[in-house]
Amino acid sequence: MILPVSNFSDKKITFNANNGDEKLKTYDKDTLLKNNFSTRTRIGLDKLTKAFTVYPAKGLTGSRNSNFYEFLTMGTMPYLIGSAILMAIFNAHKPYAAADKVPAAALGRKMALGVLFYGIFKSVSKSFINIPVKMMTGIDTQLPYAKVNYQLQESPDDYDLTSIEYHKVGESVDFTRWDQLYGDPANGESLNFRYDKIAKKNGLGENLNDSDQEVKPIYKEVLVKSALARSFSSFMWAATGVALAFQKPWEDYFNVATLKVWKPKEFAHSMKIFGESFVESAKSLYKGNQESLKFLERNSGKFLIGLTLASTVLGVLNAVHITKKPSKVKEADVIDKNKESVVC
Amino acid sequence: MRTNLIQAYLNRTPQVQQYNSDKAVKDFDVQKELRTRTFIKPLPSNGKLVKNTIFDIPAEYFKDMKYDMRALKHSINGEANDHELGKLNDMGMKLGGLAIASYLFTRKGTPKTKIFEFIGLLSFFGAMDLWPKLFLQLPAYLLHGFDIRQNYVDNYGRKKMLYQDHQFIPWDLYSDEEINKIGDRMRVPKDIPNRRDFIQEKMRKIALQNNTMWMLTSGFATPIMSALICNALEKPVPKYQGEKLDKSADFLLSNFSQEIKKYDYSKNEAAMTKLLSDNAGKPITKQLVDEIHANLADDLNYVTAQSLRTDIDNLLPTDSFNFTKETLGNIRKVLEKNFENLDIPFTPEEIAQILPDDASIMSTFEEKGLIKTDIKDFSEHTKLIQDLLDSKIESFVAQNPDNLTARRLDFYMKNLVHSNDRNADSELLSVFKSTQATVLSDNTIETIKSISKTLNSLKAKNAVLDEFAFIKTAQAPETILANFWNDIASDEFLKTLNISPDEIKKARLDSDIAGKILRNKFEDIVVDDTRYAQVVEFLQKKLSALQGKMLSLSEFKDGESVSLYKSLVDSTFDNSAASLKAAGMINTAENLVGYDDTIKTSLKELQLSFVTDRIKGVKSSFYRLLNALDLYHRISKVEKVDILHAKMPREVKEELVEMCKQLVINGHNSDYAVKFYFKRNPELNPHFANDEARKEFYSQIETKNGRVVNKYFGKHDASELVELANDREFFDAAIKLMYDGELHPDTIAKIKDSAFLEEFMRYRKDVMNFVGGDQYKFKPNHLPNGQSFKSSSKLRFLLLGSASDELFFKLCKQKFNSMHWFKRFGTIGAGLAVVTLLPQFFFGKMKNPKASKENK
Repeated sequence: MILPVSNFSDKKITFNANNGDEKLKTYDKDTLLKNNFSTRTRIGLDKLTKAFTVYPAKGLTGSRNSNFYEFLTMGTMPYLIGSAILMAIFNAHKPYAAADKVPAAALGRKMALGVLFYGIFKSVSKSFINIPVKMMTGIDTQLPYAKVNYQLQESPDDYDLTSIEYHKVGESVDFTRWDQLYGDPANGESLNFRYDKIAKKNGLGENLNDSDQEVKPIYKEVLVKSALARSFSSFMWAATGVALAFQKPWEDYFNVATLKVWKPKEFAHSMKIFGESFVESAKSLYKGNQESLKFLERNSGKFLIGLTLASTVLGVLNAVHITKKPSKVKEADVIDKNKESVVC
Repeated sequence: MRTNLIQAYLNRTPQVQQYNSDKAVKDFDVQKELRTRTFIKPLPSNGKLVKNTIFDIPAEYFKDMKYDMRALKHSINGEANDHELGKLNDMGMKLGGLAIASYLFTRKGTPKTKIFEFIGLLSFFGAMDLWPKLFLQLPAYLLHGFDIRQNYVDNYGRKKMLYQDHQFIPWDLYSDEEINKIGDRMRVPKDIPNRRDFIQEKMRKIALQNNTMWMLTSGFATPIMSALICNALEKPVPKYQGEKLDKSADFLLSNFSQEIKKYDYSKNEAAMTKLLSDNAGKPITKQLVDEIHANLADDLNYVTAQSLRTDIDNLLPTDSFNFTKETLGNIRKVLEKNFENLDIPFTPEEIAQILPDDASIMSTFEEKGLIKTDIKDFSEHTKLIQDLLDSKIESFVAQNPDNLTARRLDFYMKNLVHSNDRNADSELLSVFKSTQATVLSDNTIETIKSISKTLNSLKAKNAVLDEFAFIKTAQAPETILANFWNDIASDEFLKTLNISPDEIKKARLDSDIAGKILRNKFEDIVVDDTRYAQVVEFLQKKLSALQGKMLSLSEFKDGESVSLYKSLVDSTFDNSAASLKAAGMINTAENLVGYDDTIKTSLKELQLSFVTDRIKGVKSSFYRLLNALDLYHRISKVEKVDILHAKMPREVKEELVEMCKQLVINGHNSDYAVKFYFKRNPELNPHFANDEARKEFYSQIETKNGRVVNKYFGKHDASELVELANDREFFDAAIKLMYDGELHPDTIAKIKDSAFLEEFMRYRKDVMNFVGGDQYKFKPNHLPNGQSFKSSSKLRFLLLGSASDELFFKLCKQKFNSMHWFKRFGTIGAGLAVVTLLPQFFFGKMKNPKASKENK
């Protein structure tokens, strides 16, 4: 047996990933969750909170229970902090003279909006892949499950040794959690009911003896291809978001922009102008600088939009183009039972 | 027959097999092994640590690229693994970044802003990679002796970070020797039990803590570091670009004959040839003239195009027509059509009675001798038709006295002949003008072809000259001239003047404050010969550099421009004008090169004056600085100030010096225009009690620390804002003190070998003559040496350039903005570096286990 190294631990602080969260303690085993807005929000908030609090604290103290999931979850931090810092960098013109401040602010605000749109477009655009893929193949690549994680005791006082992590069934194509997709016969579910649905949707037939075995290669293929589509499409959408934010019509919005929701009239007007600026900016992005003599300056917006749409459409088409369907040759055609056969 | 191996196996005779091996481990206790299960070990790893040197980077880069491409292929086929999918995310992020930079590149207007889109992108990714390397990996290595971002390649050839997941570290890739070495470095006691495990745990902890620190800090660090990288490159990159741009501009002229070929007008010429051949021998219509003009005027400016139109109209007249029998045949048709349009209820028989028939029209025209060629005026023809209609209508009314509508025919008759639209020909007149008198002859075709060739050659040459002039001198960002301005009005200038951050902070508020600070600085500098020499040398170097850069534009010999640009402009415009003149295009030729009083407003002159004016304006701004420094130096040393002669009262001298010192720094065009409004003593009445008093009254000014020690100036109660309007000698002395006479030898010593010396001296003379000697409404008789010169406000503007206080104010404002930005984010960056580095000293702290007793 490999010797544990816990006897060298000198930790005095105990961290618990789900401390105080009664709701999360209801999971006593890995549990498949519904992929709906409520769950996604709950998971998002849980991960966000912990990414800024518990996980860094565990990591900084070198806790043995800090794991790769926590490390990846902490990846939200650079995104959010980085965005805020970028916005601050573009708008650090407070003490400038008025004549310098005005043009600096006009550009700075656009750049800040660009940062914001980058994040929003990148995040939202993933649905442009996920939803059509789910509709066409029945495979939800974002299906979440709660994983109950058992931790090592780090101090004698550490009695709560579980933590809950939120993963996706298909987050790993090498180690997909197929087990989570099986139904629970104890609850009256058919063992393969989820696989049956996917099999039916993809034309593999109904009442299959082992739909899970037939579906798994397809499922994996869709996971890989939709991950590919998401990787390219979402960043292209993010780029389009930045380009959109750089259009001139936004200046109309910046003149009236307010987040003071307690002043409904001003806020509503601001939102109205936001909508108008959005539409006008989209038009401006598409039309480009028509006065320019250079072809690229007139058409760069069209190219960007075209590339972005192409990355999404081609990504979805590739994802739903399944090549790993089992052969439709019937068993009877392979082995004729009436004939004697010898295996040697 | 083949042996059935399955049957052979089933039928084999069981027998006890005895294995003997020489390699058996001595004292091997199988029971102990089974009990402790130490024989259960992972398979030996085929993975290895990646230990690359800097020279391996290119090879590694291409290897990684190859892997990424393979990952992409696998993903498209749906066969990728998790590691490959992770790589795709990175590729997507870079592609998205490239898309942003490319789009913004197309939206930015100048080379610098364009290139900085990509520099921004690269610096961002660079910062993302460099931050953990410099502030986590390197310090951790120095402190603990191992690489926390160590990569390894696993059995499947996948490159990963060894400590990415601290719960699954493939420790077996480190040999005992390597681990022990790291342990020694971390001062782990050598005699503890399970030393390797302890060292590994320490390494794990350090790596995890660093990875967490990476996540905590990179959000702050990446944008700040990226911004600082861009900030650092903001100066060198445009400098490099400027050098390249300058060379490319000079190449345009040196390779002029080849460069003009890039402006291809062969399509225009082909279109013209086709147009002419299609219409050869045919009448010249207005439409044809329009088409010919449109082709020739393509890419010409409006004014030249108008002159061209005048010439073309003369060459291709369209205002004379032939009146033939075929024309006559159409007259009745038009009259009928116009009659129908009137919508009056007449029967066809009645219409036939009202309108004259073809035969009567024909005979009347023949009778009057109106069927002829080359007619410009058709009034007779129209009158004849009108008379014919009159007589017909008259007889029709007489024959039909009861037809009330017929009585209205007289009223409608005008509509039959004339057009309602004043500017357009009536349909009848259009019929008269249906046959042009002139046709497009072969000679005319050849002339037009020659004009087309001349104009297209002019357009191509003009385009190259324009491109050159724009790159070099246009009033736009990042031209060579703009870069030069920024090169002088730069951080280096502030440093040379020894301007402190506090002074910058004050000077950026207002040009008056900036002027005072600059004056103060000048007075400090001129008193110290070494510093003075440094500042003059700075200006000398920069101005010499500009002289070199603008040689192809403003090279002078004996006061005449002999630049390559000038000679090319001359040859281009003169030759084109000569060819056009020969082809009869007098107006166009005059538009190009002018004639008598139109020379100054010709296109050629504009092409030349555009660049000379721009260069003059910029150079004047810096010559002004040099001149101001020299004046301050002369005054400080009270040398080369002959104008402050012995017959000038000291108080006047002090007033004069003070005014000139202010004027060279703060003076705008309007200050010179009023020929100088300045506070003076209006009651300067000398009363000399004795010789001493007389001597004192006319004594020379005194200076201390570069400043004048004023004994009288401003002391008199009435000296506030009083101007001595009749003191033209004061004005004369002031302008001479500033711009006339010799420079100080210290200044001469620094600039005597400079190519710009002659130009600088001419600048001084020009300011004195044209600015000082201009007769305008304020004190028209105040003239240096009593001589008046003709000048324009533009010339005075160009000679005075930018006022030094404004130049300095703008420079300080710009410097303050960047200083403020740098200070804020530089401080955050430095703070972040400290926050990241300090905890490294506490990472991996663990209590050392007690040494094994057995080992003691």
